[in-house]
Amino acid sequence: MHGEYKTPGGKLVVVDFDIVDGRFKNMVISGDFFLYPEEELPVLTNALEGVDVELDDESFSERIRMDLHPDTELMGTSPEGIVIAVRRALDGYES
Amino acid sequence: MSYPNDPTPEQQADWDNRFRSVNWTLLPSPPLAPRAQNAMDEVLLEEMAAGRRGPHIRFWNWQSKAVIIGRFQSVKNEVYEDAAAAAGITISRRMTGGGAMLVEPEGSITWTIAAPDAMVKGMSFAESYQFFDSWALNALRELGVEAWYVPLNDITSTGGKIGGAAQARKHGIALHHTTCAYSMAPGVLTSILRIGKEKLSDKGVTSAEKRVGPLRQQTDLDRDVIINHMIECFRNQYGLVNDNFRSEEMARLGELVAEKYDTPEWVYALP
Repeated sequence: MHGEYKTPGGKLVVVDFDIVDGRFKNMVISGDFFLYPEEELPVLTNALEGVDVELDDESFSERIRMDLHPDTELMGTSPEGIVIAVRRALDGYES
Repeated sequence: MSYPNDPTPEQQADWDNRFRSVNWTLLPSPPLAPRAQNAMDEVLLEEMAAGRRGPHIRFWNWQSKAVIIGRFQSVKNEVYEDAAAAAGITISRRMTGGGAMLVEPEGSITWTIAAPDAMVKGMSFAESYQFFDSWALNALRELGVEAWYVPLNDITSTGGKIGGAAQARKHGIALHHTTCAYSMAPGVLTSILRIGKEKLSDKGVTSAEKRVGPLRQQTDLDRDVIINHMIECFRNQYGLVNDNFRSEEMARLGELVAEKYDTPEWVYALP
């Protein structure tokens, strides 16, 4: 599944994933955002891996927020922006 | 004349002091293969971190056409790979975030500026982006290009978007590179780069091509003349001594291209 969301005035975030047994699998998060340090990308990507797709948006973004190191700078998108892309993918929104 | 988002006079004075706080060197601009250009940034960042290389500026020249994608972009989401291959365009992944850019040997003006991150101490990331490009904007304005900064990382103008910047922060070094479109053949951008409607959703335009305003549409000056003017502007304001790459740096460049930038593991790190 594929979803995209561009934060107004910010950057594009793209999510691609499968759903296996009702859970996110093979999550890939990409886009033209900035992330410091760059080594945090797997943290971002793993935050939703294996999570129940039936949870609500707030639960998804909370997972991402909790996993990111407090000193990590994510610029141009946000946990909430990533979740909008995820929600669009789940809803089959064409982007 | 003032433009949107210009620094206040106090802010400009602070920026000037920061730029003047180090000794700058200008490195040469040999045409390199696209992936070698991207690797060169990392080589020089490593050398700076090891204390063997100081703050520097270098302008990039290209041996061939390329799509340079951002560190976190997916190849298939950004590039029509078949069209790129047919046009002899190399796909190269850079070490910094941000968006894809299409470059041709004479079609863009790209440079890197790198300094210890102490130079931007106390600044937000957003301010540091504008700081590192401020001298370039002033140089372009002196040539009659009405350009200004759009946070986070865009340079725009009365004629459309000119370029964008990206920054790496690593090992106590801030490395900032910027690309400005100089000239562009119509149709090329949209036949190579996959630019969906979501990306343009907040831009108020319907195509990426309409958004871009290459410098050549705004000045008759040759690319080299613009680059030389930018260099002299920087030199006059902040000092700049010409330098060369060291043989160890060139050797390391070959290694890093082979072990990282030329590998599918890196280029397709996000497939």
